[in-house]
Amino acid sequence: MSDAPVIPPRAPDYNPLDDEAFREVVREFLAENYPPHLRFPPHRLHWAECKEWYFILAEKGWIAPGWPRQWGGMGLSPAKQIILIEEFERFGAARLPDHGIVMVGPLLLRYGTDAQRRFFLPRILSGEHIWCQGYSEPNAGSDLAALRTEAVREGEAWVITGQKIWTTLAQDANWMFLLARTDKTAKKQEGISFFLVPMTSPGIRVRPIVNLELHDEFCEVFLDQVRVPLDHLVGEINQGWSMAKALLGFERIFLGSPRQAANALARLKALADHLGLADDPHFQRRYTEFRLDLADHRALYAVHVARLREGEALGAEVSMLKVHQSELFQRITAYMLEIAAEYGGLLEPIGGNRALHPGGLFIQSRPVSIYGGTNEIQRNIIAKNVLDLPG
Amino acid sequence: MDERLRSEDETIRLLRESAAAIAPRGGPLSRIRALRFTLPGFSREVWQEIAGLGWLGLRLSEAEGGAGLGMEACCALAEELGQGLVPEPLIPALISLPFLPPALRAQAVAGEIIVLPAWQEEPGALGPPRPITHFERGVLSGQKRFVPMAAGADYFLVAAAEGLALVPKDAEGVSLVTAMTQDGGHLGTLSFEDAPAEPVSAEPLSAGPLSAGPVLAAFAAALDEAALATAAYLLGLADRAFLLTLDYLRTREQFGRKIGTFQALQHRAADLKLALELTRASLWQAARRYDDPATPPGERQRLVSQAKARASRTALEVTAAAIQLHGGIAYTDEYDAGLFLRKAMVITPQFGSADWHARRFAELSPPDEDL
Repeated sequence: MSDAPVIPPRAPDYNPLDDEAFREVVREFLAENYPPHLRFPPHRLHWAECKEWYFILAEKGWIAPGWPRQWGGMGLSPAKQIILIEEFERFGAARLPDHGIVMVGPLLLRYGTDAQRRFFLPRILSGEHIWCQGYSEPNAGSDLAALRTEAVREGEAWVITGQKIWTTLAQDANWMFLLARTDKTAKKQEGISFFLVPMTSPGIRVRPIVNLELHDEFCEVFLDQVRVPLDHLVGEINQGWSMAKALLGFERIFLGSPRQAANALARLKALADHLGLADDPHFQRRYTEFRLDLADHRALYAVHVARLREGEALGAEVSMLKVHQSELFQRITAYMLEIAAEYGGLLEPIGGNRALHPGGLFIQSRPVSIYGGTNEIQRNIIAKNVLDLPG
Repeated sequence: MDERLRSEDETIRLLRESAAAIAPRGGPLSRIRALRFTLPGFSREVWQEIAGLGWLGLRLSEAEGGAGLGMEACCALAEELGQGLVPEPLIPALISLPFLPPALRAQAVAGEIIVLPAWQEEPGALGPPRPITHFERGVLSGQKRFVPMAAGADYFLVAAAEGLALVPKDAEGVSLVTAMTQDGGHLGTLSFEDAPAEPVSAEPLSAGPLSAGPVLAAFAAALDEAALATAAYLLGLADRAFLLTLDYLRTREQFGRKIGTFQALQHRAADLKLALELTRASLWQAARRYDDPATPPGERQRLVSQAKARASRTALEVTAAAIQLHGGIAYTDEYDAGLFLRKAMVITPQFGSADWHARRFAELSPPDEDL
């Protein structure tokens, strides 16, 4: 692949800037351009709610920070991408439907055909195609390789039948990338392929699932004899599993980012102030313990970020960040519930102040130890791949 | 003694069986789902059934038109209601009954009217040390908070600094603001502005219920009984959340085997079982000794606090672990595990938080008792 731009980049190359200067550029851009009413949204936003922000980023050329510049991305180094994401999080920028950017783009850049890249990448950049991910199934969660959705070749088409679950914002997407079984006789990881499927295809039915936050963030997607042309397969047949694994990039580090625990700790302090407990010695003791936990977590996180900056790939150690962050987040919200007493059971924030919502945050902290690989799976990874224990 | 125990056991067994009319063991939770996020959030028809089953007179003496049963029976019933996540406010309603004038009490026991206590001003505390709600010259002024299912009451029994007073919900000067809770019920804030009310006792509540005269001492005891019954309710709901989880561990397959074969999950389940058995032991110890006339009041309070502190912690621990052990499926509202977590979030702090009860336990325990 030559370096001549296929899709001209809209943004300048920020890599030569020093980190602090780049940070300043990001902060300024957010302050001037981010829609104020979308700061710190209480839950994941639907496309209709957040598309204006998507289009602002697309216009600026910032929608795909990790894509190479010749494909219309920012071409940022991992270190600069981390700065960008940190500043977005600090500012309270909403998470966009970013599966096209984070998953499909890198997938096609690495394994796609030139025709696939030329067709799909510009449409992801523009927001014309919004993607959702079809990985998990009712009987393939932690054991994803056990998936049973099946793709059968019929003449010039693949015919896909099965069921996907935990598909984030499928009701907003017009395309889905999915893993389906193409060889039932092979070892389970070796008979899986990667497909691109229009959500408008006949035979697709989407059922939103209301989660414990009483929000319809996830969906079930039913596929009944859905036909896609042969060129909607990505890469080699039966190589889907290894492609999916290879796509687990350095973004995994963000599952261990201190953001959620730090945010919860700030909320805990605000709650204690509201309840008049801030000077209570019992509270002080617990609060200080959490601060220490968070400070140490930040230190561990910095170790891993520094390795990324040095160009090292992330190892299995990154699971430790996820386990510690998610459980610290949960311990803080459990303590919030304890001191909030009756207030902790309220459905809405105390006095309408979104910063004071112990019950809401407690519930939000529940799935953090489940999604992205449960903490049980993460501990298995630490035991096997970090400690090299037998079994 | 043996004879009495046997007859009580039989009474309790029958009571548990009768609870199946409202909350069958492991029965469907569709009624509970349908009532969530509605007002008043419970059913007057079911309240009539509850009255018909005699539960409202459970703790009243036979002279008062009740069954004269003890806290063991009351806790057994509350445990059954907890496993069924029953939203009808039976536990608070039982507090009010002994203090009502006979005619009104007869109506309340018959389920025709609902009288809920409005006693609380501070979150998490079982007794307001100094109520700011006043009852002077026949009118109430002030505010009471966290009244469970207040929108379904006809009258409130208000604990004011000057004593207990009875006020109709729709009386002049009474306003009710409700806030929905995570379980789909609600808590009421009652504001009184020169609201005309009927006196129930003339004993001042100046130093709190613990050191007041006979009526207020009885009211404080009623609050303790509600705390103990709440502990039983929490045990019931935690037990069922645990059974649901065990079922899942026994049937869900991943990696070609039942997930209950994974030792990490077995150990987690064993820890939860341990927490539940500690709670059960603490609860029934408290209930039995509460019913023993030889147990001094301070010891009763201490035992109630021991049981409620434990039950509050266990209910949250078990219901949160139920979500984790299920994985993603339990993070959906349509799966029942979440109903137990949300109920635990709301009920756990009621009638004294774990922290409040732990503190009272410490205050009431001789310093070197365990040494």
